[in-house]
Amino acid sequence: MIAFDRVGKRYPNGFDALSELSFALDAGEMAFVTGHSGAGKSTLLRLVALLERPTRGQVTVNGRNLGAVRRRGIARVRRGVGMVFQDHRLLLDRSVFDNVALPLVIAGVPREEMAKRVRAALDKVGLLEREKSAPSMLSAGEQQRVGIARAIVAKPPVLIADEPTGNLDPQLAAEIMGLFGEFQQVGTTVLVASHDLPLVKRMGKRVLVLDHGRLIDDFQPRNTGP
Amino acid sequence: MNRRIEKNRPKPAAPEPRGNFSLRAWREQHLYSLFSSLGRLAARPWATALTLAVLGFALALPLLFWLLLDNARGLAGNVGEAGAISAFLKPGTDVTAVQAFAARLRARADVAAVTVKTPEQGLDEFRERSGFADALKVLHYNPLPAVLIVDPRGDPGPLAAQLRADPAVDQVQYDAQWRQRLNAILVLALRGAQVLAGLLALAALLVIGNTVRQDIAGRSEEIAVMQLLGAEAGFVRRPFLYSGFWYGTFAGVLSLMLIGIVQVILAAPLARLTAAYDHAFAAHGLGIAQMLAVLAASAALGWLGAFLAASRHIVLGQPR
Repeated sequence: MIAFDRVGKRYPNGFDALSELSFALDAGEMAFVTGHSGAGKSTLLRLVALLERPTRGQVTVNGRNLGAVRRRGIARVRRGVGMVFQDHRLLLDRSVFDNVALPLVIAGVPREEMAKRVRAALDKVGLLEREKSAPSMLSAGEQQRVGIARAIVAKPPVLIADEPTGNLDPQLAAEIMGLFGEFQQVGTTVLVASHDLPLVKRMGKRVLVLDHGRLIDDFQPRNTGP
Repeated sequence: MNRRIEKNRPKPAAPEPRGNFSLRAWREQHLYSLFSSLGRLAARPWATALTLAVLGFALALPLLFWLLLDNARGLAGNVGEAGAISAFLKPGTDVTAVQAFAARLRARADVAAVTVKTPEQGLDEFRERSGFADALKVLHYNPLPAVLIVDPRGDPGPLAAQLRADPAVDQVQYDAQWRQRLNAILVLALRGAQVLAGLLALAALLVIGNTVRQDIAGRSEEIAVMQLLGAEAGFVRRPFLYSGFWYGTFAGVLSLMLIGIVQVILAAPLARLTAAYDHAFAAHGLGIAQMLAVLAASAALGWLGAFLAASRHIVLGQPR
C-alpha cells in the first residue's frame, strides 16, 4: 500500500532529510515512524501525500508510482490519503460539521449523503453532539478528534498523521492513538509519526525508527494491544 | 462499536479514474461555489457596496457618453439636405433676373436641380419655423434675399466655387462642408468614447482583480487546507471566479440604474429640445437587448478579472 524504494530527499538548502530509505507497508497495516526531531519523520509523511517529491528513489502509494503523477494528478492522490496534523488545521470560521464535510464537498458528494457520512465520522470520534460548535470552542483533544474525523470521512485507503498527540496530555494522547488503531482494524493503512517512543511501544504496532534520515530500526514490540 | 466501524470500511483501493466526477457532483460543486461566494460578498456589506459603486460608475460613464453620441448622430442626420448648395443672391435682385439665373444653372451638366426660394417664401418659412412671427411683424420690409437651392450632380466643389465667384451671388452656403465637419467631430468623439470605455473597463478589471486578490490573501489558510485535502485547482479557484461574476453582474445592474437616473433627470430638457426641432428626432435610451449586452459584458469582465487574479495569486500546493 505504501512502499519506499531507496528514497532520498535533499532540500534546496542542501539538507539531506532522508537517504536510502526503503520499507513497505501492506494494505491494512499500521506503523509508527519515530525518531528525534529532524530525523525525517515529517518529510517521510509529506512524500506519501505528495506535498514533496523525492530527489531520488521511488515512492508508491495505493498502487501508484508517485513519480509518474503529473501536476494535474496531485489532487487525486491527496484525496486518497487522509491527513491529520499536529496543529489540526481546522478552519476556524466554520462549524465542526462544515470542517468535517470539506473533503466530501471537494469530492462532490451529494448533500444528503454528505450529512450522513459527516455524522458517522463525528460519531466515531465521539463528537456527534458538537457538530454545530465552532472549533475554537473545543478543547485541544476534541479539536484533534475533529481533525481525525475530517481525515477519515471520505474513507481514504491511507491515513497518515504527523505528531497527532504532540499537543496533548498523556491520557488524551493514548485515546487518540487508540482511535488510529480502530481505523486500522477496518482495513485502513495507517502511518503515524510520533517522537513519543513509550506511547508508540505500548501500542504494539510496527515501529520504524529514523535517525538523520536513515532507517535504523524496524521492529514489532512484543506486547500487543494498547 | 465494531459494527459502527464496519460501516466505514474503505472502498477497495482501485485507482480512481480521471474525470470520474458525475454530472451531479459537478452541479453540487458549482452550487456550493455559487452560494458560498454570494455569502462572502454579503458577509462584508460595506466593502462590497463600495467596490460595486466604483465598478458601477466606471461602467456607466462610457455608456452615458456613447448614448449621448448616438443621439447626437440621430440629430445630425435629420438636419439639412445632404450636399445641397444654397446660393443667397444679392438683396434687391429682381424676380426675372433670379429666374434667368436659375435657368442658366439648370442648363449646366453638373447641376441636377435648382429650387428657387423667393424672399416672400423665405419670410413665410421663417415665420413658421422660428416662432419669431411677432417680431417679424415689426419689420416693414422683407430683409431676406432670394435663395437658389442647387442640387449638384457629381463633385460639388467647383460648382460651389463658381457660384461664390458670381457677382450676382452674395453668399454661398455649402451644407456638405459643415456636415463633413460635424461628422468628423462625431467620429472623433465616438473614438474617444471607445477609448474611454476601454480604459474604464480596464479599471473595472483591475478593481475586481484587486478585490479578489485581497480575498485570496485573506483566505490563504482555507486555500492551503483545501489543497491538502485534495481539492483540484479548479475547485479552489471557482468560488473566487463566482465572486468576480457577482461583482461584474451587480456592477452592470448598478450602471444601468445610474443611466436610468440620468435619463429621468434629462427627460424634461430633452423634451424641450426635441420640441424645438419639431420632433424631427426622438431621443432614445438603451433597448432591452443593449441592457442585456451590458449585463453580459460586465459579468464577463468580472469573471475575467477574478480569473486573472486567481491564476496569479493562488499558489497551487505544488510539491518540490
